[in-house]
Amino acid sequence: MIHNGKNSRSTIISKGISAGKSSNTYRGLVRVGPTASGVRNFTQCDSLLLGDQCGAHTVPYIEVKNPSAQIEHEATTSKISDEQLFYAMQRGLGEEEAVALIVNGFAKDVLKELPMEFAVEAQKLLAISLEGSVG
Amino acid sequence: MLTITDLHARIGDTEILKGLTLHVPAGEIHAIMGPNGAGKSTLSNVLGGKPGYEVTGGSVAFRGQDLLALAPHERAAAGLFLGFQYPVEIPGVSNVQFLREALNSQRRQRGEEPLSGGEFLKLAKDRAGLLQMDMDMLKRQVNVGFSGGEKKRAEMVQMGILDPSFALLDETDSGLDIDALRIVGAGINAIMRSPNKAVLLITHYQRLLDVVTPDKVSILADGRIVETGGPELALRLEAEGYDSVMA
Repeated sequence: MIHNGKNSRSTIISKGISAGKSSNTYRGLVRVGPTASGVRNFTQCDSLLLGDQCGAHTVPYIEVKNPSAQIEHEATTSKISDEQLFYAMQRGLGEEEAVALIVNGFAKDVLKELPMEFAVEAQKLLAISLEGSVG
Repeated sequence: MLTITDLHARIGDTEILKGLTLHVPAGEIHAIMGPNGAGKSTLSNVLGGKPGYEVTGGSVAFRGQDLLALAPHERAAAGLFLGFQYPVEIPGVSNVQFLREALNSQRRQRGEEPLSGGEFLKLAKDRAGLLQMDMDMLKRQVNVGFSGGEKKRAEMVQMGILDPSFALLDETDSGLDIDALRIVGAGINAIMRSPNKAVLLITHYQRLLDVVTPDKVSILADGRIVETGGPELALRLEAEGYDSVMA
């Protein structure tokens, strides 16, 4: 994200999902030019881990040339808890349906920004690529 | 409806249920009371099929099926509903979405047609009204930011929508103020009081039983049912405590 305009604002939301033995890394640069005063950026990086052999890494780069900028970065890492899974299954969802629902909830902030067709496609893709990843 | 015979279960090396036997026929509301650590929540988790509990002996028959052989979602589809003592948050998923998927998954498992969005919303509205809950609340994320009382009421709305034949309610009354307790109690009566349904009500206090009158009351202590009686047993417990009643 490059800020050259005065009072320009941006938000970055990253949702990373790691399953199996995969590892997921966020790297993002937020640069504020010398003439860009009053800039604000908010960056949020959330990682969801499925299983205990995967990992998540967050590497934010911040380059600020104007002292009036306000740059925020927030990072969280969470797992699907056994309690969540059992709760969803007790209501009637199969294990994979339950995982897909919880993962889609996690990714909702991003999915809801997509055009309808893409969002539906992305949800299905998520469900497929997670098949068999919990156990 | 539900017959538990000589059930033994443990977590790790600790045996919690030590030969529990209990029969709940259709049409019955059966309260279970008992001191802390007696195994009440373990019973609820074992019946629901929560991982981490090992059943080492005994059997559970539910509507003619071997309950323990079923996966948790199959138990739900067979008509078992667990009211959680601590309902779980699912961020980013609305109650409407959660319940519609859950209900339709149950219906698919039973070979029934899934409900359309419109049909589902009509049902949800009806059941939320029964518990005096706003539809706005159902549009919020599952239990996220709900107060203790709201969570318990939301559990009852879930029960109303899923319409189970058997409900096991684990301390549904804890954390409720007096008005919420009446609403929840009335909800249990409206949804579950029926000749084809049954309820196992785990509670510590008489005050819920003032609203939902049990047909039977059992005392669970040290992993077994040690005494069963009518509603008067709960009153005696309230007055005299476990020590004197079980002695």
